Amino acid sequence: MIKSFITPELMPAFPEISLAIAAMLILLFGISRKEEDYNSVSNLSMLALAAVFMTLCKFCTETATTFNGMFIADAFGAFMKALVVTGSFVSIMLAAKYVERQRIMRFEYPILILFATLGMMLMISANDLIALYMGLEMQSLPLYVLAAMQRDTVRSTEAGLKYFVLGALSSGMLLYGASLIYGYTGATGFDAISTALAGHPAGLGIIVGMVLLLSGLAFKISAVPFHMWTPDVYEGAPTSVTAFFAIAPKLAALALLTRTFMGPFGHLADQWRQVVVVISVASMVLGSVAAIGQNNIKRLLAYSSIGNMGYALVGLAAASPAGVQAIMIYAAIYMVMTIGAFAVVLMMKQKDRMVEQISDLSGLGDRQPLLALAMTIMMFSMAGIPPLAGFFGKLFIFQAAIGSGLYTLAVLGVLASVIGAYYYLRIIKVMYFETAGDDVIDKASDGRLNLLLGISSALIVLFIVFPGPLLTSAADAAQSLFK
Amino acid sequence: MIATDLLTNYFPIVVFLVIATGLSMLMVGVSFLAAKQKPDTEKISAYECGFEAFADARMKFDVRFYLVSILFIIFDLEVAFLFPWAITLGKIGLYGFWSMMVFLGVLTVGFIYEWRKGALDWE
Amino acid sequence: MEVIAVIAPLIGAIAAGLFLEEKPAQFLTCALMVVAAFVSLLLFRDICFLGTAPHTITLFDWISSGSLHVSWSVKFDQLTAVMAVVINVVSCMVHIYSVGYMHHDEHKARFMSYLSLFTFAMLMLVTAGNFIQLFFGWEGVGLASYLLIGFWNHKESANAAAVKAFVMNRIGDWGLALGIFAIFMVFGTLDYDTVFAAAASKKDLMVTFLDHQFPALELIGFLLFIGAMGKSAQLGLHTWLPDAMEGPTPVSALIHAATMVTAGVFLVARMSPIYEYAPHAREFITFIGALTAFVAATIGMTQFDIKRVIAYSTMSQLGYMFFALGVSAYGAAVFHLFTHAFFKALLFLGAGSVIHAMSDEQDMNRMGGIWRLIPFTYAVMWIGSLALAGVPPFAGFFSKDTILESAFVAHTPFSMMAYWLGIVAAFMTAFYSWRLIFLTFHGAPRADEKVMAHVHESPPIMTVPLAVLALGAIGAGLFFSKFFVGEARGEFWGNAIFVLHDNDVLSRTEEGVTGIYKFLPTIVGAFGIALAYLFYIRARHLPAVMAGTFGRIHDFLYHKWYFDELYNIIGVIPTFFLGRALWKTGDGEVIDGLGPDGIAEVVSASAVKAHQVQSGYIYHYAFAMLIGVVAIVAGYLYFFRGVF
Repeated sequence: MIKSFITPELMPAFPEISLAIAAMLILLFGISRKEEDYNSVSNLSMLALAAVFMTLCKFCTETATTFNGMFIADAFGAFMKALVVTGSFVSIMLAAKYVERQRIMRFEYPILILFATLGMMLMISANDLIALYMGLEMQSLPLYVLAAMQRDTVRSTEAGLKYFVLGALSSGMLLYGASLIYGYTGATGFDAISTALAGHPAGLGIIVGMVLLLSGLAFKISAVPFHMWTPDVYEGAPTSVTAFFAIAPKLAALALLTRTFMGPFGHLADQWRQVVVVISVASMVLGSVAAIGQNNIKRLLAYSSIGNMGYALVGLAAASPAGVQAIMIYAAIYMVMTIGAFAVVLMMKQKDRMVEQISDLSGLGDRQPLLALAMTIMMFSMAGIPPLAGFFGKLFIFQAAIGSGLYTLAVLGVLASVIGAYYYLRIIKVMYFETAGDDVIDKASDGRLNLLLGISSALIVLFIVFPGPLLTSAADAAQSLFK
Repeated sequence: MIATDLLTNYFPIVVFLVIATGLSMLMVGVSFLAAKQKPDTEKISAYECGFEAFADARMKFDVRFYLVSILFIIFDLEVAFLFPWAITLGKIGLYGFWSMMVFLGVLTVGFIYEWRKGALDWE
Repeated sequence: MEVIAVIAPLIGAIAAGLFLEEKPAQFLTCALMVVAAFVSLLLFRDICFLGTAPHTITLFDWISSGSLHVSWSVKFDQLTAVMAVVINVVSCMVHIYSVGYMHHDEHKARFMSYLSLFTFAMLMLVTAGNFIQLFFGWEGVGLASYLLIGFWNHKESANAAAVKAFVMNRIGDWGLALGIFAIFMVFGTLDYDTVFAAAASKKDLMVTFLDHQFPALELIGFLLFIGAMGKSAQLGLHTWLPDAMEGPTPVSALIHAATMVTAGVFLVARMSPIYEYAPHAREFITFIGALTAFVAATIGMTQFDIKRVIAYSTMSQLGYMFFALGVSAYGAAVFHLFTHAFFKALLFLGAGSVIHAMSDEQDMNRMGGIWRLIPFTYAVMWIGSLALAGVPPFAGFFSKDTILESAFVAHTPFSMMAYWLGIVAAFMTAFYSWRLIFLTFHGAPRADEKVMAHVHESPPIMTVPLAVLALGAIGAGLFFSKFFVGEARGEFWGNAIFVLHDNDVLSRTEEGVTGIYKFLPTIVGAFGIALAYLFYIRARHLPAVMAGTFGRIHDFLYHKWYFDELYNIIGVIPTFFLGRALWKTGDGEVIDGLGPDGIAEVVSASAVKAHQVQSGYIYHYAFAMLIGVVAIVAGYLYFFRGVF
């Protein structure tokens, strides 16, 4: 009993600890100012995230566990955390002008993102059901608040409330599943669960517990049928918050899902694969089909993200190192594409008023060719058209599926992406072939958005030229899950 | 055998339950019989946080009630953590001590925030 | 430095294509090309004369997948240095010339961008250190060529020519791609150095292809040559080249004379370590090359479009290069490539100058009598033609002579055929070259007065590049023959070209060619010129008489041996028929009906359904989640556990 109270090794959790301390210090700084000082807080937050990013590099080579095995730092974690931290950094950057215009310049905004990021990092490093739940809630609570940030508009508060209620429901499912798993294996630690499940057929209780756990996590990545909140919340939340929702939490939940199902439940891959296949096909198909009728670009991107998570789940269904590598590559590319797409959405304003309809983009090809080109790159990439990065993301995913013998799944995935291509192409068509009325999008005024859009376009286009770094680091990171 | 042992362990709780039930019934009964009763409308109306007990739930109310109660819960829980910690302090060593200090530190940050935000002022 | 030579055109292409207005675009691309040309001259000097070791600069990894590792690299050895000089110098001249030539065009920036893009792709091709980068450059020049041929995209014929070039090249690329696959299969790598080092050890290896056993290296050599045939317009895959003259004339000079069409020659020379162990593939190359040289020359004699004559002449000269390769005289082939680049670019740009002067007239029947009006152009056309006909001491003499002598001393049946066809072609070359000069510049003017009044010498921005190229056409042979094919060739080429001792024909040309054979090419050349003088200056009725007497033969030649018609019947018409059948019934009714149209209906119907489910009520959503969980668990239990 006493033994477990010796001081644990803190170094593996150094990035998380630093982020926690930094976030609290920034909170104190923010509250100590006489006036709302959004800009300083936002800059400090970005600085903190950048610093945390640097510290991550130190932990990307070897695997270490601490806090009685509840926390694990490994290459997989470092890779996904790097993505998440980058995503959060970019989200704060994207928000700058938008929050000013929408009058939600509260200094809590970046701090909430910091806390959510901390939660995501804990999720990614969770090696125990309890740590998993704690990370998940730590991530979710700030997100609920962020969704309702614009609290004097009905849509935003409605989004926050919906997200909160349904999130609570999903947490309940997840907890129920976790307790079933604990009940049947007598352990909450991932390593102990893995040992308990090895070597003999899984009992019914375990299966039900696993499915419930999966459902709870599927809610976070908004996979069908746990996706229904996504379009409403994406549409209702302030656009910069939507961007954050689409970028960072998805990746963290995906990482957690991967670690949980490749780790403790790795032995039961044949059991859960079918469930993942069903969810993934449903997500891919629904993401493609339902997006077709959308007129609001935020809703469209919501369905797009549902579909994208379906593709990522194909990699999980493969349950192989190649599959995990494919998930990571897909996640990275997805993030870049999403950043680009949302940068464009955040630029969509007419006569200084934000607009969100797809038809508002018409005539963009004539009036602002560079912006239209960047959006075209993003859309082509999301549609998976070579030689853009999105094509390779899908390619690796389907390769992994085929490598694991999931031919039907791969074929369905390709079909779904063909259907999906329709609505991506529609945006391009609207931009280039529909003439604008009097109103077109204003000239971009925020240099940061232009910068981010430029960088993400360049990354998407140049991936084919420099795929090496991403491929090798993802391969190494994937290997760390299969030690 | 084991089952009997298990039940034996719970015996004090049964005793406690019996005594508690008996005592509370005794107190209610005695006060009902012995006290002088002079009811009026104010006295017999149900009391609940300043609201009518049986009224439409969709009424306007001051959100600060909730703020206060949420803040109360946070610090209430803090105390709930402090008790077991204080009792085992001898066994959990320096690490245990500093864990709680960190926890309190985090709560203090939150406390400073709510104070500065004015959440503790009623007006 | 090597990187600058390669990257400069790319920078120019991107900047001119995406960002710049026409003036800065012209200036920037030209300036960058001057830099690139200068740098590649320095590199040429360092590597070929000052003894800097050949080297490869790896820029970064590209593909690393399984056993396939490919990186972007810049490989500079002697062969690359020679090619880089040819490409960059000619391209530089063409860039500058284009500023003048495209003066009236509306899309100058786009044109300059395409030119630079082409140059970059060509440099990628020659500096490749592995087959994938080679293929990248190969396809890159194909793309740039397509864009440039169809540059005047308002002309239907230009579009058709561009498509034709693209499709014909595709057939060649199919061979190249198969060749690369075969190399990967046999050698397990696509890196040049590794492949070449292992070539000798694979010479007895047999592989199965289309159910037959083939020697591996022969098969590879054959497949790669199919690629070379497409790109270099060898007989069979040549029909696109004359049509490609639809592009602006500077394009013809750069792409369809000096650089891209020589990519096939470069490829075979580069693969010399493989071809040395593939004697049958080389025999095939000799055969095709010799036939091409002959056939193209016969057609060239009868054409009247000034650019087409030069185009057929190019094809014919490429034939010479290929049969030189076929008899292992790689140095001679590359030497001819080198000299040919100068004088053929000169001829094309000179022709461009004529066309420019004649208000965009290309038909020689409507020219004549203009030599006094544009003396400078007239002079450079003479220089170019003298070099082309192989008159000493002009550049073509040295290279063409060496090729013919190599073929003679190789003394195999195929090489002797090549030698004699080459001699005949040399005669015809001289004939059609002077036919062109006489028809264009001499005699009575056949253009209308308005055009004649307008004839003027080109501005300096066009004549200076002509002068530079003319210098090359005069001096390149005299100055460099010692190094490319003469006694210093061993040190000059280093390890860039590999020749087995028994095949080293260049070392035997001195003693192997004696007597009349030594002078035969020059003699037939002189005859050709004399005959042209007779036909087109002295007795001007003779061509018509000849055409009447040998009507069948003339028609046959005039219609380019009916290649286009033949391909139309066996290739194009059936394909169109099949395409139409598949389109109307197969695609339109069956696939569209069941596929896109049918699916689209289902999809849009389900999109509406998916809408309706999204009601906005939390309890609906929560219900869906619960139903989902229950359905998943129940389904799992039912299907996989057999519960219920």
